[in-house]
Amino acid sequence: MLKDVNLHVKEGEKMVIVGPSGSGKSTTVRCMNYLEVPTSGKVIIDGEEMTVRNHTKLVRRTTSMVFQQFNLYPHLDVMHNLTLAPVKLHGVSVKEAEETARHYLEVVGLSDKAHVYPTTLSGGQQQRIAIARALCAKTKIILFDEPTSALDPETIQEVLDVMVKLAEESNITMVIVTHEMGFARQVADRIVFMEDGMIIEEGTPDHFFNHTENERVKKFLGKILRH
Amino acid sequence: MMGEWEASFGMLQSSAIWLYILKGTLFTVIISAIAVILGVVFGSILALVRNYCHSPKYRIFRWAAITYIEVFRNTPLLLWIFICVVFCPVPDLFAHRMFGLTTVETTLLFKACIALILFTSSVIAEIVRGGLNSVPAGQFEAAASQGFNTVQTMVYIILPQAYRNVVPTLLSQIITTIKDSSYLANVATIELMSRVRQILSTANIYNGTGNINVSDVFVLYGCAAAIYFIINFALSLIVRRINAQRKKAASTYRIVKA
Repeated sequence: MLKDVNLHVKEGEKMVIVGPSGSGKSTTVRCMNYLEVPTSGKVIIDGEEMTVRNHTKLVRRTTSMVFQQFNLYPHLDVMHNLTLAPVKLHGVSVKEAEETARHYLEVVGLSDKAHVYPTTLSGGQQQRIAIARALCAKTKIILFDEPTSALDPETIQEVLDVMVKLAEESNITMVIVTHEMGFARQVADRIVFMEDGMIIEEGTPDHFFNHTENERVKKFLGKILRH
Repeated sequence: MMGEWEASFGMLQSSAIWLYILKGTLFTVIISAIAVILGVVFGSILALVRNYCHSPKYRIFRWAAITYIEVFRNTPLLLWIFICVVFCPVPDLFAHRMFGLTTVETTLLFKACIALILFTSSVIAEIVRGGLNSVPAGQFEAAASQGFNTVQTMVYIILPQAYRNVVPTLLSQIITTIKDSSYLANVATIELMSRVRQILSTANIYNGTGNINVSDVFVLYGCAAAIYFIINFALSLIVRRINAQRKKAASTYRIVKA
């Protein structure tokens, strides 16, 4: 699926991965937290190589993920969705975890939803809760796997707004797979273009949108940016 | 002729007979409850092993679980009751007088209960597995992405959802188990059906006519039927109510586009 992908993400960097469907963007980010197990090659986080043995603990300590389908826990209310991992995995006290959760609910603008169940919320709201859940783990890295692709058009913006705010105000390393080019241009430190499992172009947004020499990227941008 | 019927119904005026039958009913309910509770425990373990032990190291356990489930699900309960009565060892803890029963009765009760538990476990295993399979793959991914290990994922995230999905089916299984427990009468244990049969076999003493009449069969089995019906119908009304509440709760959820 992936061929010769060599990526180095710096601490605090906001990296956006774009490309056509089936190009391996999602697989790339899913390898970063071992949801896909690489058949060859290495994933190294904080100088530590991810292996079959250590991946659970390494992932727990270093990365969080926001999914296309939100994947909130439907049997728990919002507050418990946010505090489950901190309390059970990170040894945080319930009180402290709830304080943190309230803080991040405020960040995503859903303070009033602490005690409702996720299925009663709109897609956009669920995704903002999912972002808050990722933040509650206080990991250095958050992976976003097409966070707006499953949303109604009118709720996409509220999720993007939260992500822009995060990108601008926090030092979290963000790796984002998205089709939202405007958003990519706005937040990315670096844009990576993938096709057929390979990285065929990478650079700053300015380079990527205005100065690329790569014909394939030009064609892709031509199709996407025309309207 | 009318005399026989009067004599049969006359038996029901004896409080000793009623007490005997009601104690049998109590045993039926307790045995079934134990079978279902332990069935959920063992059934869940079987279901988890059958569903998730795919790695070559543990594959043997998976095959063992599959064999167990399929063997017990596809053979009659009565067979296992007979087998257990002959072969099942009884720990000393149970092999003495208790609850006003003789040693022989507690021993038989224990053996027959084991058979019922073994059988019920295999049925509940498949129910729980249905619940597990209805949990979307995304839940496993979300758990893995947060760093939950396999056991934690099951305990905190997957099993609660699986059980929630199968609550109505599990409740119906209690009804089935209460009915199944009547098979225990075949090895003369002390639950409702066997007690009714015991009274019937000595009805000539109780009804005062000196004979066991067809009317005795009718009255006593009618009694058993009525008691089973009252318990199970009450339970099924509860199940229905729970289902209705769940449906109502589900319809107030906003349907989210996938």
